[in-house]
Amino acid sequence: MKPRVGFFDFTGCEGCQLTILNLAEKLLDVLDLVEVVEFREVQGNCNEDLDIAFVEGSICRPDEEKRLRLIRTRSKKLITLGACADLAGINIAHEEAGGAELAMAVYGSDSKHLQGGQARPVSAIVPIDGRIPGCPVDGQEFLAILHALLLDRPTNLPAFSLCVECKLAELPCTFEQGIVCLGPVVRAGCNALCIEGGDRCRGCRGLVDNPRESSYHRVLETFNLSVDDILEEYRTYNLRIDEE
Amino acid sequence: MRTTQAPTSAAAESSTWRALSRVEIDLFVRSMMTAYEVVGVQKKHGRMTMDKVEDPSELLLEFPPQVHSPKKFLFPNWQKLFRFSLGGKVYLEADKAAVPRVIFGMHPCDLHAVQVLDDCLFEGEADSVYRSKREATLLIGVDCLPDEHCFCSSVGTDRTDSGFDLFFHRADEGYLVQSGSERGEALLRRHAPQVAKRDEEAPLPLQVKPCEHQLDFAVDALAPLLGDVYDHHLWKEIGERCLGCGACTLLCPTCYCFNVEDRMDDDLAGGERVRTWDSCQFDHFTRVAGGRDFRSDQADRQRHRFFRKYKYLWEKHERTACVGCGRCSRECLANIAPVNVLNRLFVEEASPELKALPANEYQPDMVEIIAVEDLTNQDKLFRLRLNTPIHFTPGMFVAISIFGLGEAPFTIASSSDDDMHVEIVVRAKGALTRALHRLQPGDSVGLRGPFGHGFQVEDFAGRDLLLVAGGLGLVTLRSLLLSLLADRQSFGTIQLLYGVRNMDHMLFQKELLEWHGSNQLDCRFAFKEPGNSWGVPTGDITHLFRNLDLQPQRTSVAVSGPAGMYRFINPLLLRMGVDEEALFLNLERHMKCGLGKCGKCRINDVCVCETGPIFPYSKVKHLKEAIER
Repeated sequence: MKPRVGFFDFTGCEGCQLTILNLAEKLLDVLDLVEVVEFREVQGNCNEDLDIAFVEGSICRPDEEKRLRLIRTRSKKLITLGACADLAGINIAHEEAGGAELAMAVYGSDSKHLQGGQARPVSAIVPIDGRIPGCPVDGQEFLAILHALLLDRPTNLPAFSLCVECKLAELPCTFEQGIVCLGPVVRAGCNALCIEGGDRCRGCRGLVDNPRESSYHRVLETFNLSVDDILEEYRTYNLRIDEE
Repeated sequence: MRTTQAPTSAAAESSTWRALSRVEIDLFVRSMMTAYEVVGVQKKHGRMTMDKVEDPSELLLEFPPQVHSPKKFLFPNWQKLFRFSLGGKVYLEADKAAVPRVIFGMHPCDLHAVQVLDDCLFEGEADSVYRSKREATLLIGVDCLPDEHCFCSSVGTDRTDSGFDLFFHRADEGYLVQSGSERGEALLRRHAPQVAKRDEEAPLPLQVKPCEHQLDFAVDALAPLLGDVYDHHLWKEIGERCLGCGACTLLCPTCYCFNVEDRMDDDLAGGERVRTWDSCQFDHFTRVAGGRDFRSDQADRQRHRFFRKYKYLWEKHERTACVGCGRCSRECLANIAPVNVLNRLFVEEASPELKALPANEYQPDMVEIIAVEDLTNQDKLFRLRLNTPIHFTPGMFVAISIFGLGEAPFTIASSSDDDMHVEIVVRAKGALTRALHRLQPGDSVGLRGPFGHGFQVEDFAGRDLLLVAGGLGLVTLRSLLLSLLADRQSFGTIQLLYGVRNMDHMLFQKELLEWHGSNQLDCRFAFKEPGNSWGVPTGDITHLFRNLDLQPQRTSVAVSGPAGMYRFINPLLLRMGVDEEALFLNLERHMKCGLGKCGKCRINDVCVCETGPIFPYSKVKHLKEAIER
């Protein structure tokens, strides 16, 4: 019997599930390997036991928390899918900006339907068995993690920083242009997609396991960033650092 | 299968040189493209990178050193070792042969880097995956101009006459192609026959590259230097700066450490075992099963990188594994630059024999004059503030210099208890001493030293002391006296006999009066010339011995005066029963260098600046030149 897999989404844009659908032919290979029993982007809900649950989105409301706990109890492995599930993503930014003002600015007085609460990562509610980081996730990395799960191998992510992928791609360093980049402390695995596209790294894949924060902050200080500026850099994707 | 043979032959016995134009190079490349994949530096997406050449006219032969290294074609980051398929029996597929390739655009440092890779990967069980690529690849060198990160000239990789198949040198009009192997010659014959048939040109001399970044020492001093600095605090400092990003090793043209892993096909039916670049700077590099990390500290990782480049591989292959290309420092956000690191280690740690800097030991330290006092009409006392403490014993000397006028030795006049100041007495006699007399507090002079061997004051403990000074000889004995008085209770009676020409030549008059009036010592003076206000009897210093109260067995004697004085004083003292071992003479000579080298201060075969100028009589009595006869 093929392993049974479910995809679940909470607060988020569902872009990660779309990325998986965009794997196109490769997805057909996946469908040979597993049985997808739940996938909201494709088909509806059922309540069977699962071998692997992929969870997208951050957890914002009590009912989401309850649903997540139920998914956990019926899944052998629970893997977060994307930055919202991994880090609470950019959903947590509204707390900084002030939720009520934001709602007013976007929806005016017609915002009664909004039920947002404090955004939390999945791991703050239930134990997880692995993560696929990124905003959105990288399709190839999703496949690699799925393969690892099917072969019962560790679901390791690259342990090195994004700088590695910039060097391998022979991309000029963002800092060279006087632009601050989170690359030196952020986990590689995206093939420096944003840098290739002319942007800087904003940290959607989270910090490496052992970020050299003091060395990195020393570099930032040479670019005249204050402590507040540095903290602000980490805020977009809710990266946890030692605020010393 | 064992081989250590590198495919590119060493320097071609008869290297040929032929002129050709850029247009002919384009034709040559176009012709090669029919048989090889030609890679070279081109501008793509606004930056220069080495890649497959599609249009020969876009191939750049002059490009800056920051272009990434050609390592990626010989030892790529992603290298399939073999394929396997799962399901039932595991099936291994043999790999296809490497693509025949020409790398057109190897800077001299990168050619040297290939030699390092050869050393490491052909050693022992040769790496066949590397070898297949290496054998299928022809290397064409081009020249370069160093930038501010390059230090190839310090490690001898700024030029090469071997390790390439062809080398294109820029010439006044067009280029000169130099052959470096039979394969290179054949390449030229087949793909540029008109050039190969051409008359040979005269070879260009190998040019030394102008690098502004330089090691302060010879590269072969590095391995022994590093042996002494394993625990140096600099590693910790670098470790704290390092981001651990590994860029230094990824960009290095000689780093080849790798990881091996299985990458599955999408359908999980099979996969590849691949080799990927790894880095000693990464967290997982030295981690073992169970999670233990044998090199978890970034400082240790950085040290390992340096030791590997400059020590371990040097000792193994007698070739530095760093080719000075500067790629690591060029793209290091933490600005960790090998030249700076190594120069700092060298300056802080190098032992004197390692210091190859010319004239370093001859170079004085600039010290400030903080006080000048007139002792007589022709003698001044200078008090100098030292930059670093010195240890000396009375009788030792320093070399004082004024640039333009030279350097001369001066005995130290001050107490050895003060290690941050030195006093010297200068009599205006020659150009240097007259110039010294013109200096004021706040001015600086050069100082080297202290040099020589002085009085061992601690050996005088419990003994009576007789100090016999003639003329300027008092300067040395003042230092001794001050040191004795600083610990007065340790010694028996102290007597000072001072003979001088007249009152006008009498040094330290104020101090002498003070001492004379104190009960710390017995001072007696003799003036050679008649008439003085102190009521001192006229006569030479021997008069002072007449009614001397001396217990010879418990007395140590120090004599310091003009050369002629010893001739009379020594017999006198020995007749009184003073022990030869307890009679110390100050035999100053022209101690020019202070290092035992210049030969000017030798008394027969004894070097004064090394074993003197303070000698026990027993040590010099046999020396014909020691005492004026």
